[in-house]
Amino acid sequence: MSTRTAQRLTVGRIPGLLFTLALVVIAVVFFFPMLWMVFSSFKSNSAIFSTPFALPTEIDFGRWAEAWEVGHIGQYALNSAIVTGASVFGILLLGAAAAFAFSRYRFRGRNLLMGLLALGLLLPLQSYFIAQSTLFTQLAITDTRWALIIPYTAMGLPLAVYLLKVYLDAVPDELFEAARIDGAGDLRVFGSIALPLLRPGLATVAIFSALSSWNEFLLALLYIQDDALKTIPTGLLAFSSRYVTDYGLLFSALSIVTLPMIIIYIVFNKQIVDGITAGSVK
Amino acid sequence: MKPNRRVTPYLFLVPAMAVFGFAVLFPVVMTFAYSFTEWNGYGTMQFVGLDNYIEAANDVLFRDSFLHVVLYIAATILLEVAVGLVLAGLVSVKRRGSLWFRVAIFTPVMLPMVVVAVLWAFVYNNDFGLLNAALVNFGLEDLQRVWLGDPATALLAVSVVSGWVYAGFYMTIFYAAFSQVPTEVIEAARLDGAGEWQLFRRIKVPMIRNAITVSLLLCITGGFQGFDLFYVMTNGGPYGATEIPTTYLVKSVFTFGNVGYGSAMAMVLTAVVVALGLVFARVNREKPEKVNA
Repeated sequence: MSTRTAQRLTVGRIPGLLFTLALVVIAVVFFFPMLWMVFSSFKSNSAIFSTPFALPTEIDFGRWAEAWEVGHIGQYALNSAIVTGASVFGILLLGAAAAFAFSRYRFRGRNLLMGLLALGLLLPLQSYFIAQSTLFTQLAITDTRWALIIPYTAMGLPLAVYLLKVYLDAVPDELFEAARIDGAGDLRVFGSIALPLLRPGLATVAIFSALSSWNEFLLALLYIQDDALKTIPTGLLAFSSRYVTDYGLLFSALSIVTLPMIIIYIVFNKQIVDGITAGSVK
Repeated sequence: MKPNRRVTPYLFLVPAMAVFGFAVLFPVVMTFAYSFTEWNGYGTMQFVGLDNYIEAANDVLFRDSFLHVVLYIAATILLEVAVGLVLAGLVSVKRRGSLWFRVAIFTPVMLPMVVVAVLWAFVYNNDFGLLNAALVNFGLEDLQRVWLGDPATALLAVSVVSGWVYAGFYMTIFYAAFSQVPTEVIEAARLDGAGEWQLFRRIKVPMIRNAITVSLLLCITGGFQGFDLFYVMTNGGPYGATEIPTTYLVKSVFTFGNVGYGSAMAMVLTAVVVALGLVFARVNREKPEKVNA
Protein backbone atom coordinates (compact mmCIF):
# COMPACT_ATOMS: atom_id res chain seq x y z
CA MET A 1 0.00 0.00 0.00
CA SER A 2 2.81 2.37 0.86
CA THR A 3 4.47 1.98 -2.52
CA ARG A 4 1.15 2.92 -4.04
CA THR A 5 1.02 6.19 -2.08
CA ALA A 6 4.62 6.88 -2.96
CA GLN A 7 3.81 6.48 -6.61
CA ARG A 8 0.82 8.80 -6.26
CA LEU A 9 2.99 11.49 -4.77
CA THR A 10 5.55 11.27 -7.51
CA VAL A 11 2.89 11.92 -10.15
CA GLY A 12 3.59 15.35 -8.71
CA ARG A 13 3.21 17.95 -11.37
CA ILE A 14 0.13 16.44 -12.90
CA PRO A 15 -2.25 16.22 -9.97
CA GLY A 16 -3.82 12.77 -9.89
CA LEU A 17 -7.39 13.92 -10.33
CA LEU A 18 -6.64 16.07 -13.36
CA PHE A 19 -4.72 13.19 -14.83
CA THR A 20 -7.62 10.80 -14.41
CA LEU A 21 -9.91 13.41 -15.91
CA ALA A 22 -7.69 13.67 -19.00
CA LEU A 23 -7.84 9.90 -19.45
CA VAL A 24 -11.62 9.94 -19.13
CA VAL A 25 -11.98 12.72 -21.70
CA ILE A 26 -9.73 10.90 -24.18
CA ALA A 27 -11.60 7.64 -23.70
CA VAL A 28 -14.96 9.35 -24.19
CA VAL A 29 -13.81 11.09 -27.37
CA PHE A 30 -12.56 7.79 -28.74
CA PHE A 31 -15.62 5.88 -27.69
CA PHE A 32 -18.20 8.48 -28.65
CA PRO A 33 -18.67 7.49 -32.30
CA MET A 34 -19.57 3.99 -31.15
CA LEU A 35 -21.97 5.24 -28.48
CA TRP A 36 -23.59 7.52 -31.04
CA MET A 37 -23.94 4.54 -33.38
CA VAL A 38 -25.73 2.45 -30.74
CA PHE A 39 -27.97 5.34 -29.64
CA SER A 40 -28.89 6.16 -33.22
CA SER A 41 -29.83 2.54 -33.88
CA PHE A 42 -32.79 3.04 -31.54
CA LYS A 43 -33.91 6.29 -33.18
CA SER A 44 -36.11 7.26 -36.08
CA ASN A 45 -34.59 9.09 -39.04
CA SER A 46 -36.06 12.39 -37.85
CA ALA A 47 -34.64 11.97 -34.33
CA ILE A 48 -31.21 11.16 -35.79
CA PHE A 49 -31.38 14.43 -37.71
CA SER A 50 -32.86 16.73 -35.08
CA THR A 51 -31.31 15.53 -31.80
CA PRO A 52 -28.04 13.75 -32.64
CA PHE A 53 -26.70 13.87 -29.07
CA ALA A 54 -29.87 12.93 -27.20
CA LEU A 55 -30.33 9.54 -25.59
CA PRO A 56 -32.86 7.43 -27.45
CA THR A 57 -36.39 7.75 -26.03
CA GLU A 58 -36.91 4.01 -26.00
CA ILE A 59 -34.68 0.98 -26.33
CA ASP A 60 -36.34 -1.17 -28.94
CA PHE A 61 -34.34 -4.08 -30.28
CA GLY A 62 -36.94 -4.54 -33.02
CA ARG A 63 -34.73 -2.62 -35.42
CA TRP A 64 -31.82 -4.87 -34.61
CA ALA A 65 -33.94 -7.96 -35.29
CA GLU A 66 -35.11 -6.37 -38.53
CA ALA A 67 -31.54 -5.60 -39.62
CA TRP A 68 -30.52 -9.15 -38.79
CA GLU A 69 -33.39 -10.54 -40.88
CA VAL A 70 -33.86 -8.26 -43.89
CA GLY A 71 -30.20 -7.26 -43.98
CA HIS A 72 -29.03 -10.90 -44.11
CA ILE A 73 -26.58 -10.08 -41.32
CA GLY A 74 -27.08 -13.58 -39.98
CA GLN A 75 -26.09 -15.06 -43.34
CA TYR A 76 -23.02 -12.82 -43.62
CA ALA A 77 -21.95 -13.69 -40.09
CA LEU A 78 -22.34 -17.39 -40.84
CA ASN A 79 -20.25 -17.03 -44.01
CA SER A 80 -17.58 -15.14 -42.10
CA ALA A 81 -17.56 -17.83 -39.43
CA ILE A 82 -17.16 -20.63 -41.99
CA VAL A 83 -14.43 -18.87 -43.97
CA THR A 84 -12.59 -17.75 -40.84
CA GLY A 85 -12.91 -21.14 -39.15
CA ALA A 86 -11.62 -23.03 -42.17
CA SER A 87 -8.76 -20.58 -42.77
CA VAL A 88 -7.62 -20.63 -39.15
CA PHE A 89 -7.80 -24.43 -39.07
CA GLY A 90 -5.72 -24.58 -42.27
CA ILE A 91 -3.17 -22.08 -40.99
CA LEU A 92 -2.73 -23.92 -37.68
CA LEU A 93 -2.46 -27.40 -39.15
CA LEU A 94 -0.30 -26.63 -42.19
CA GLY A 95 1.69 -24.01 -40.28
CA ALA A 96 2.46 -26.35 -37.39
CA ALA A 97 3.52 -29.15 -39.75
CA ALA A 98 5.83 -26.82 -41.68
CA ALA A 99 7.26 -25.28 -38.51
CA PHE A 100 7.92 -28.80 -37.19
CA ALA A 101 9.83 -29.77 -40.33
CA PHE A 102 11.90 -26.57 -40.35
CA SER A 103 12.64 -26.75 -36.65
CA ARG A 104 13.45 -30.43 -36.16
CA TYR A 105 14.94 -31.67 -39.43
CA ARG A 106 17.96 -30.70 -41.52
CA PHE A 107 17.34 -31.45 -45.18
CA ARG A 108 18.28 -30.31 -48.66
CA GLY A 109 16.43 -27.17 -49.76
CA ARG A 110 15.54 -26.14 -46.20
CA ASN A 111 16.96 -22.62 -46.45
CA LEU A 112 15.46 -22.06 -49.88
CA LEU A 113 11.99 -23.07 -48.72
CA MET A 114 12.26 -20.99 -45.57
CA GLY A 115 13.38 -18.04 -47.64
CA LEU A 116 10.43 -18.40 -50.00
CA LEU A 117 8.04 -18.46 -47.08
CA ALA A 118 9.75 -15.46 -45.48
CA LEU A 119 9.08 -13.55 -48.70
CA GLY A 120 5.45 -13.76 -47.69
CA LEU A 121 6.18 -11.52 -44.69
CA LEU A 122 7.49 -8.83 -47.00
CA LEU A 123 5.27 -9.02 -50.08
CA PRO A 124 2.15 -6.84 -50.07
CA LEU A 125 -1.20 -8.16 -51.25
CA GLN A 126 -0.81 -5.90 -54.28
CA SER A 127 2.05 -8.03 -55.60
CA TYR A 128 -0.21 -11.00 -56.27
CA PHE A 129 -3.91 -10.28 -56.16
CA ILE A 130 -4.26 -9.39 -59.86
CA ALA A 131 -2.90 -12.69 -61.13
CA GLN A 132 -4.56 -14.52 -58.26
CA SER A 133 -7.91 -13.22 -59.43
CA THR A 134 -7.37 -14.28 -63.05
CA LEU A 135 -6.17 -17.68 -61.81
CA PHE A 136 -9.24 -18.12 -59.61
CA THR A 137 -11.50 -17.05 -62.48
CA GLN A 138 -9.90 -19.57 -64.85
CA LEU A 139 -10.28 -22.36 -62.29
CA ALA A 140 -13.86 -21.27 -61.57
CA ILE A 141 -13.33 -20.96 -57.83
CA THR A 142 -14.47 -17.35 -57.64
CA ASP A 143 -17.89 -17.15 -56.01
CA THR A 144 -17.15 -20.17 -53.86
CA ARG A 145 -15.89 -20.08 -50.27
CA TRP A 146 -12.59 -21.57 -51.45
CA ALA A 147 -11.81 -18.27 -53.17
CA LEU A 148 -11.38 -16.79 -49.69
CA ILE A 149 -10.27 -19.78 -47.63
CA ILE A 150 -7.30 -20.56 -49.90
CA PRO A 151 -5.76 -17.06 -50.01
CA TYR A 152 -6.48 -16.35 -46.32
CA THR A 153 -4.69 -19.58 -45.41
CA ALA A 154 -1.79 -18.80 -47.74
CA MET A 155 -1.45 -15.24 -46.42
CA GLY A 156 -1.51 -16.38 -42.80
CA LEU A 157 1.08 -19.13 -43.18
CA PRO A 158 4.36 -17.16 -43.27
CA LEU A 159 3.90 -15.46 -39.92
CA ALA A 160 2.37 -18.60 -38.39
CA VAL A 161 5.32 -20.77 -39.45
CA TYR A 162 7.79 -18.18 -38.22
CA LEU A 163 6.20 -17.86 -34.77
CA LEU A 164 5.56 -21.58 -34.30
CA LYS A 165 9.12 -22.38 -35.32
CA VAL A 166 10.39 -20.00 -32.63
CA TYR A 167 8.32 -21.96 -30.08
CA LEU A 168 9.58 -25.34 -31.28
CA ASP A 169 13.21 -24.22 -31.47
CA ALA A 170 13.09 -23.64 -27.73
CA VAL A 171 12.16 -27.28 -27.04
CA PRO A 172 15.18 -29.50 -26.19
CA ASP A 173 15.86 -32.24 -28.71
CA GLU A 174 15.97 -34.95 -26.00
CA LEU A 175 12.21 -34.75 -25.65
CA PHE A 176 11.76 -35.80 -29.25
CA GLU A 177 14.57 -38.35 -29.19
CA ALA A 178 13.03 -40.00 -26.13
CA ALA A 179 9.74 -40.46 -27.93
CA ARG A 180 11.63 -41.79 -30.91
CA ILE A 181 13.41 -44.39 -28.76
CA ASP A 182 10.02 -45.44 -27.42
CA GLY A 183 9.22 -46.33 -31.03
CA ALA A 184 7.12 -43.35 -32.11
CA GLY A 185 7.18 -42.55 -35.83
CA ASP A 186 7.59 -39.03 -37.23
CA LEU A 187 3.87 -38.44 -37.40
CA ARG A 188 3.41 -39.65 -33.82
CA VAL A 189 6.19 -37.37 -32.60
CA PHE A 190 4.53 -34.44 -34.33
CA GLY A 191 1.04 -35.25 -33.12
CA SER A 192 1.69 -36.28 -29.55
CA ILE A 193 4.81 -34.27 -28.63
CA ALA A 194 5.05 -31.18 -30.83
CA LEU A 195 1.40 -30.17 -31.10
CA PRO A 196 0.65 -30.21 -27.35
CA LEU A 197 3.82 -28.19 -26.68
CA LEU A 198 2.74 -25.68 -29.30
CA ARG A 199 -0.62 -24.96 -27.70
CA PRO A 200 0.12 -21.41 -26.47
CA GLY A 201 1.72 -20.53 -29.80
CA LEU A 202 -1.23 -21.96 -31.68
CA ALA A 203 -3.61 -19.86 -29.58
CA THR A 204 -1.71 -16.69 -30.43
CA VAL A 205 -1.60 -17.53 -34.12
CA ALA A 206 -5.29 -18.46 -34.09
CA ILE A 207 -6.26 -15.08 -32.69
CA PHE A 208 -4.49 -12.84 -35.14
CA SER A 209 -5.32 -15.12 -38.07
CA ALA A 210 -8.99 -15.10 -37.08
CA LEU A 211 -9.07 -11.32 -36.78
CA SER A 212 -7.46 -10.74 -40.15
CA SER A 213 -9.66 -13.30 -41.94
CA TRP A 214 -12.79 -11.95 -40.27
CA ASN A 215 -11.99 -8.40 -41.34
CA GLU A 216 -10.43 -8.94 -44.80
CA PHE A 217 -12.09 -6.82 -47.45
CA LEU A 218 -10.24 -6.41 -50.77
CA LEU A 219 -10.19 -10.07 -51.86
CA ALA A 220 -13.71 -10.62 -50.58
CA LEU A 221 -14.82 -7.68 -52.70
CA LEU A 222 -13.13 -9.04 -55.83
CA TYR A 223 -13.94 -12.74 -55.54
CA ILE A 224 -17.46 -12.94 -54.10
CA GLN A 225 -20.36 -11.44 -56.05
CA ASP A 226 -23.01 -13.88 -54.84
CA ASP A 227 -24.81 -12.22 -51.93
CA ALA A 228 -25.45 -15.58 -50.26
CA LEU A 229 -21.68 -16.10 -49.85
CA LYS A 230 -20.64 -12.62 -48.77
CA THR A 231 -18.74 -12.17 -45.53
CA ILE A 232 -19.42 -9.40 -43.03
CA PRO A 233 -17.26 -6.65 -44.59
CA THR A 234 -18.62 -6.98 -48.13
CA GLY A 235 -22.07 -7.97 -46.93
CA LEU A 236 -22.31 -4.87 -44.80
CA LEU A 237 -21.24 -2.76 -47.73
CA ALA A 238 -23.97 -4.31 -49.88
CA PHE A 239 -26.44 -3.73 -47.05
CA SER A 240 -25.44 -0.09 -46.76
CA SER A 241 -26.06 0.53 -50.45
CA ARG A 242 -29.42 -1.30 -50.33
CA TYR A 243 -30.73 0.75 -47.40
CA VAL A 244 -28.96 4.04 -48.04
CA THR A 245 -31.63 6.15 -46.40
CA ASP A 246 -32.83 3.97 -43.54
CA TYR A 247 -30.26 5.25 -41.07
CA GLY A 248 -31.72 3.57 -38.00
CA LEU A 249 -31.52 0.21 -39.72
CA LEU A 250 -27.95 0.84 -40.88
CA PHE A 251 -26.88 1.88 -37.39
CA SER A 252 -28.54 -1.28 -36.06
CA ALA A 253 -26.53 -3.42 -38.46
CA LEU A 254 -23.30 -1.63 -37.53
CA SER A 255 -24.08 -2.11 -33.84
CA ILE A 256 -24.80 -5.81 -34.28
CA VAL A 257 -21.41 -6.28 -35.92
CA THR A 258 -19.55 -4.11 -33.43
CA LEU A 259 -20.83 -5.24 -30.03
CA PRO A 260 -19.62 -8.85 -30.21
CA MET A 261 -16.14 -7.57 -31.04
CA ILE A 262 -16.12 -5.36 -27.93
CA ILE A 263 -17.19 -8.31 -25.80
CA ILE A 264 -14.58 -10.55 -27.39
CA TYR A 265 -11.93 -7.97 -26.64
CA ILE A 266 -12.97 -7.63 -23.00
CA VAL A 267 -12.99 -11.40 -22.50
CA PHE A 268 -9.82 -12.23 -24.43
CA ASN A 269 -7.95 -8.94 -24.12
CA LYS A 270 -4.77 -10.54 -22.84
CA GLN A 271 -4.56 -13.10 -25.64
CA ILE A 272 -5.55 -10.56 -28.26
CA VAL A 273 -2.91 -8.09 -27.13
CA ASP A 274 -0.33 -10.90 -27.07
CA GLY A 275 -1.38 -12.02 -30.54
CA ILE A 276 -1.33 -8.55 -32.00
CA THR A 277 1.98 -7.56 -30.49
CA ALA A 278 3.60 -10.94 -31.18
CA GLY A 279 4.48 -9.96 -34.71
CA SER A 280 5.77 -6.51 -33.89
CA VAL A 281 7.58 -6.51 -30.57
CA LYS A 282 9.96 -9.36 -30.04
CA MET B 1 16.37 -35.19 -35.06
CA LYS B 2 16.80 -37.71 -37.85
CA PRO B 3 13.68 -38.48 -39.86
CA ASN B 4 12.77 -42.15 -40.26
CA ARG B 5 12.66 -41.69 -44.01
CA ARG B 6 14.46 -39.03 -46.02
CA VAL B 7 11.25 -37.88 -47.62
CA THR B 8 9.51 -37.21 -44.28
CA PRO B 9 10.48 -33.51 -43.85
CA TYR B 10 9.13 -32.78 -47.31
CA LEU B 11 5.86 -34.52 -46.56
CA PHE B 12 5.36 -32.17 -43.60
CA LEU B 13 6.07 -29.19 -45.85
CA VAL B 14 4.12 -30.10 -48.95
CA PRO B 15 0.67 -28.87 -47.84
CA ALA B 16 1.86 -25.47 -46.60
CA MET B 17 4.19 -24.86 -49.55
CA ALA B 18 1.55 -25.99 -52.03
CA VAL B 19 -1.07 -23.57 -50.73
CA PHE B 20 1.43 -20.74 -50.40
CA GLY B 21 2.92 -21.40 -53.82
CA PHE B 22 -0.47 -21.66 -55.49
CA ALA B 23 -2.09 -18.60 -53.93
CA VAL B 24 0.89 -16.27 -53.43
CA LEU B 25 4.19 -17.16 -55.13
CA PHE B 26 2.82 -18.25 -58.50
CA PRO B 27 0.53 -15.18 -58.72
CA VAL B 28 3.46 -12.88 -57.85
CA VAL B 29 5.42 -14.28 -60.77
CA MET B 30 2.40 -14.05 -63.06
CA THR B 31 1.59 -10.46 -62.02
CA PHE B 32 5.19 -9.59 -62.82
CA ALA B 33 4.81 -11.28 -66.22
CA TYR B 34 1.51 -9.49 -66.93
CA SER B 35 3.20 -6.17 -66.26
CA PHE B 36 5.06 -6.50 -69.60
CA THR B 37 1.89 -7.15 -71.58
CA GLU B 38 -1.22 -5.49 -72.80
CA TRP B 39 -4.12 -7.68 -71.80
CA ASN B 40 -7.77 -7.27 -70.87
CA GLY B 41 -7.94 -10.44 -68.78
CA TYR B 42 -9.40 -12.87 -71.34
CA GLY B 43 -8.56 -11.91 -74.95
CA THR B 44 -5.17 -12.19 -76.61
CA MET B 45 -2.16 -11.08 -74.65
CA GLN B 46 0.40 -8.84 -76.32
CA PHE B 47 3.98 -8.38 -75.18
CA VAL B 48 4.79 -4.68 -74.91
CA GLY B 49 8.12 -4.64 -73.06
CA LEU B 50 8.51 -1.77 -70.65
CA ASP B 51 5.67 0.29 -72.12
CA ASN B 52 3.46 -0.07 -69.05
CA TYR B 53 6.22 1.15 -66.75
CA ILE B 54 6.92 4.12 -69.02
CA GLU B 55 3.23 4.88 -69.09
CA ALA B 56 3.07 4.69 -65.29
CA ALA B 57 6.00 7.08 -64.96
CA ASN B 58 4.20 9.60 -67.16
CA ASP B 59 0.74 9.06 -65.70
CA VAL B 60 -0.18 12.16 -63.71
CA LEU B 61 -2.97 10.32 -61.92
CA PHE B 62 -0.61 7.57 -60.81
CA ARG B 63 1.98 10.07 -59.61
CA ASP B 64 -0.71 12.01 -57.76
CA SER B 65 -1.89 8.79 -56.15
CA PHE B 66 1.61 8.32 -54.73
CA LEU B 67 1.65 11.90 -53.49
CA HIS B 68 -1.69 11.30 -51.75
CA VAL B 69 -0.56 8.12 -50.09
CA VAL B 70 2.65 9.79 -48.90
CA LEU B 71 0.65 12.64 -47.37
CA TYR B 72 -1.68 10.10 -45.82
CA ILE B 73 1.29 8.21 -44.35
CA ALA B 74 2.77 11.43 -42.96
CA ALA B 75 -0.56 12.20 -41.29
CA THR B 76 -0.92 8.68 -39.90
CA ILE B 77 2.60 8.69 -38.44
CA LEU B 78 1.39 11.59 -36.36
CA LEU B 79 -2.17 10.41 -35.71
CA GLU B 80 -1.37 6.76 -35.13
CA VAL B 81 2.22 6.32 -33.97
CA ALA B 82 2.78 9.62 -32.15
CA VAL B 83 -0.69 9.66 -30.59
CA GLY B 84 -0.31 5.98 -29.70
CA LEU B 85 3.00 6.74 -27.99
CA VAL B 86 1.49 9.54 -25.91
CA LEU B 87 -1.52 7.40 -24.98
CA ALA B 88 0.74 4.54 -23.93
CA GLY B 89 2.75 7.01 -21.84
CA LEU B 90 -0.42 8.19 -20.12
CA VAL B 91 -1.70 4.69 -19.43
CA SER B 92 1.64 3.45 -18.16
CA VAL B 93 1.79 6.19 -15.51
CA LYS B 94 -1.40 5.00 -13.92
CA ARG B 95 -1.97 1.33 -14.36
CA ARG B 96 -4.89 0.74 -12.10
CA GLY B 97 -8.26 0.82 -13.84
CA SER B 98 -6.64 1.20 -17.20
CA LEU B 99 -8.50 -1.76 -18.72
CA TRP B 100 -11.64 0.23 -19.50
CA PHE B 101 -9.44 2.89 -21.01
CA ARG B 102 -7.67 0.40 -23.20
CA VAL B 103 -11.02 -1.13 -24.20
CA ALA B 104 -12.28 2.26 -25.35
CA ILE B 105 -9.16 3.01 -27.35
CA PHE B 106 -8.48 -0.46 -28.71
CA THR B 107 -11.94 -1.62 -29.79
CA PRO B 108 -11.76 0.07 -33.21
CA VAL B 109 -8.78 -2.16 -34.10
CA MET B 110 -11.05 -5.18 -33.76
CA LEU B 111 -13.66 -3.91 -36.20
CA PRO B 112 -13.71 -4.60 -39.92
CA MET B 113 -12.49 -1.47 -41.70
CA VAL B 114 -15.72 -1.44 -43.69
CA VAL B 115 -17.72 -1.03 -40.48
CA VAL B 116 -15.42 1.78 -39.42
CA ALA B 117 -15.69 3.42 -42.82
CA VAL B 118 -19.49 3.28 -42.94
CA LEU B 119 -19.71 4.59 -39.38
CA TRP B 120 -17.34 7.48 -40.08
CA ALA B 121 -19.06 8.34 -43.34
CA PHE B 122 -22.01 9.04 -41.00
CA VAL B 123 -19.86 11.00 -38.56
CA TYR B 124 -18.79 13.21 -41.47
CA ASN B 125 -22.28 13.27 -43.02
CA ASN B 126 -23.36 16.69 -44.10
CA ASP B 127 -26.97 16.53 -42.92
CA PHE B 128 -26.87 14.77 -39.57
CA GLY B 129 -23.19 13.95 -39.04
CA LEU B 130 -21.80 13.94 -35.56
CA LEU B 131 -18.89 16.22 -36.42
CA ASN B 132 -20.87 19.10 -37.89
CA ALA B 133 -23.47 18.77 -35.13
CA ALA B 134 -20.74 18.93 -32.50
CA LEU B 135 -19.30 22.06 -34.14
CA VAL B 136 -22.72 23.73 -33.92
CA ASN B 137 -22.96 22.76 -30.25
CA PHE B 138 -19.64 24.39 -29.50
CA GLY B 139 -20.58 27.52 -31.46
CA LEU B 140 -18.14 26.77 -34.25
CA GLU B 141 -20.63 26.76 -37.16
CA ASP B 142 -18.07 28.44 -39.41
CA LEU B 143 -15.89 25.34 -39.33
CA GLN B 144 -18.62 23.11 -40.77
CA ARG B 145 -17.58 21.36 -43.95
CA VAL B 146 -18.69 18.68 -46.35
CA TRP B 147 -15.68 16.82 -44.96
CA LEU B 148 -15.50 13.95 -47.43
CA GLY B 149 -16.84 15.95 -50.37
CA ASP B 150 -14.34 18.77 -50.23
CA PRO B 151 -11.01 18.06 -51.98
CA ALA B 152 -9.30 20.27 -49.39
CA THR B 153 -10.36 18.15 -46.41
CA ALA B 154 -11.14 14.66 -47.74
CA LEU B 155 -7.64 13.19 -47.43
CA LEU B 156 -7.22 14.55 -43.91
CA ALA B 157 -10.68 13.29 -42.97
CA VAL B 158 -9.77 9.74 -44.04
CA SER B 159 -6.42 9.99 -42.21
CA VAL B 160 -8.22 10.95 -38.99
CA VAL B 161 -10.34 7.80 -39.22
CA SER B 162 -7.19 5.76 -39.70
CA GLY B 163 -5.79 7.46 -36.60
CA TRP B 164 -8.94 6.65 -34.65
CA VAL B 165 -8.45 2.98 -35.46
CA TYR B 166 -4.72 2.49 -35.18
CA ALA B 167 -3.76 4.84 -32.34
CA GLY B 168 -5.03 2.06 -30.07
CA PHE B 169 -2.99 -0.53 -31.95
CA TYR B 170 0.27 1.38 -31.48
CA MET B 171 -0.69 2.28 -27.92
CA THR B 172 -0.88 -1.45 -27.23
CA ILE B 173 2.53 -2.11 -28.75
CA PHE B 174 4.14 0.76 -26.84
CA TYR B 175 2.37 -0.10 -23.63
CA ALA B 176 3.79 -3.62 -23.83
CA ALA B 177 7.25 -2.19 -24.53
CA PHE B 178 7.00 0.31 -21.67
CA SER B 179 6.12 -2.40 -19.20
CA GLN B 180 9.39 -4.13 -20.08
CA VAL B 181 11.46 -1.11 -19.04
CA PRO B 182 13.13 -2.21 -15.79
CA THR B 183 11.44 -0.63 -12.77
CA GLU B 184 14.85 0.04 -11.16
CA VAL B 185 15.69 2.44 -13.96
CA ILE B 186 12.44 4.29 -13.46
CA GLU B 187 12.75 4.35 -9.69
CA ALA B 188 16.32 5.64 -9.94
CA ALA B 189 15.20 8.46 -12.22
CA ARG B 190 12.35 9.28 -9.83
CA LEU B 191 14.79 9.48 -6.92
CA ASP B 192 16.83 11.92 -8.96
CA GLY B 193 13.73 14.08 -9.09
CA ALA B 194 12.52 13.39 -12.62
CA GLY B 195 8.88 14.30 -13.21
CA GLU B 196 6.56 12.12 -15.25
CA TRP B 197 7.13 14.10 -18.43
CA GLN B 198 10.91 13.95 -18.12
CA LEU B 199 10.68 10.29 -17.32
CA PHE B 200 8.66 9.77 -20.49
CA ARG B 201 10.89 11.84 -22.76
CA ARG B 202 14.31 11.00 -21.43
CA ILE B 203 13.96 7.44 -20.13
CA LYS B 204 10.96 5.54 -21.40
CA VAL B 205 10.85 6.65 -25.04
CA PRO B 206 14.58 6.19 -25.68
CA MET B 207 14.40 2.74 -24.09
CA ILE B 208 11.71 1.49 -26.46
CA ARG B 209 13.39 2.76 -29.61
CA ASN B 210 13.16 -0.67 -31.22
CA ALA B 211 9.41 -0.84 -30.80
CA ILE B 212 9.13 2.65 -32.25
CA THR B 213 11.21 1.72 -35.30
CA VAL B 214 9.11 -1.36 -35.97
CA SER B 215 5.92 0.67 -35.53
CA LEU B 216 7.10 3.24 -38.04
CA LEU B 217 7.83 0.46 -40.49
CA LEU B 218 4.37 -1.04 -39.96
CA CYS B 219 2.73 2.36 -40.33
CA ILE B 220 4.61 3.26 -43.51
CA THR B 221 4.40 -0.08 -45.32
CA GLY B 222 0.82 -0.55 -44.12
CA GLY B 223 -0.01 2.93 -45.38
CA PHE B 224 1.22 2.14 -48.90
CA GLN B 225 -1.12 -0.87 -48.87
CA GLY B 226 -4.13 1.14 -47.70
CA PHE B 227 -7.40 0.42 -49.46
CA ASP B 228 -10.49 -0.36 -47.36
CA LEU B 229 -11.15 3.06 -45.84
CA PHE B 230 -10.49 4.86 -49.10
CA TYR B 231 -12.62 2.52 -51.16
CA VAL B 232 -15.67 2.75 -48.89
CA MET B 233 -15.48 6.40 -47.83
CA THR B 234 -14.44 8.21 -51.02
CA ASN B 235 -13.33 5.68 -53.66
CA GLY B 236 -10.69 8.15 -54.75
CA GLY B 237 -12.96 11.17 -54.90
CA PRO B 238 -13.79 14.04 -54.73
CA TYR B 239 -12.12 14.87 -58.05
CA GLY B 240 -9.38 12.32 -57.41
CA ALA B 241 -8.26 14.05 -54.19
CA THR B 242 -8.04 10.76 -52.30
CA GLU B 243 -6.96 8.47 -55.14
CA ILE B 244 -4.20 6.24 -53.80
CA PRO B 245 -2.21 3.63 -55.75
CA THR B 246 -4.37 0.69 -54.74
CA THR B 247 -7.76 2.30 -55.48
CA TYR B 248 -6.32 3.49 -58.79
CA LEU B 249 -4.93 0.14 -59.86
CA VAL B 250 -8.05 -1.73 -58.76
CA LYS B 251 -10.05 0.57 -61.03
CA SER B 252 -7.59 0.11 -63.91
CA VAL B 253 -7.76 -3.67 -63.69
CA PHE B 254 -11.29 -4.46 -62.57
CA THR B 255 -13.25 -1.56 -64.04
CA PHE B 256 -11.32 -0.76 -67.21
CA GLY B 257 -9.76 -4.18 -67.83
CA ASN B 258 -6.17 -2.94 -68.11
CA VAL B 259 -4.59 -5.99 -66.52
CA GLY B 260 -1.13 -5.28 -67.90
CA TYR B 261 -1.01 -1.65 -66.88
CA GLY B 262 -2.51 -2.38 -63.45
CA SER B 263 0.07 -5.11 -62.89
CA ALA B 264 2.90 -2.71 -63.71
CA MET B 265 1.56 -0.23 -61.16
CA ALA B 266 1.20 -3.06 -58.64
CA MET B 267 4.84 -3.98 -59.22
CA VAL B 268 5.98 -0.39 -58.66
CA LEU B 269 4.07 -0.33 -55.39
CA THR B 270 5.51 -3.72 -54.43
CA ALA B 271 9.04 -2.51 -55.11
CA VAL B 272 8.50 0.47 -52.80
CA VAL B 273 7.08 -1.66 -49.97
CA VAL B 274 9.73 -4.38 -50.26
CA ALA B 275 12.57 -1.82 -50.48
CA LEU B 276 11.33 -0.07 -47.33
CA GLY B 277 11.04 -3.40 -45.55
CA LEU B 278 14.62 -4.33 -46.47
CA VAL B 279 15.99 -0.92 -45.43
CA PHE B 280 14.36 -1.24 -42.02
CA ALA B 281 15.55 -4.82 -41.69
CA ARG B 282 19.10 -3.59 -42.31
CA VAL B 283 18.76 -0.74 -39.83
CA ASN B 284 17.61 -3.20 -37.20
CA ARG B 285 20.08 -5.90 -38.04
CA GLU B 286 22.19 -5.60 -34.91
CA LYS B 287 19.15 -6.65 -32.94
CA PRO B 288 17.34 -9.13 -35.13
CA GLU B 289 13.72 -8.21 -35.02
CA LYS B 290 10.58 -9.67 -36.42
CA VAL B 291 9.06 -7.57 -39.15
CA ASN B 292 5.40 -8.16 -39.70
CA ALA B 293 3.91 -6.57 -42.78
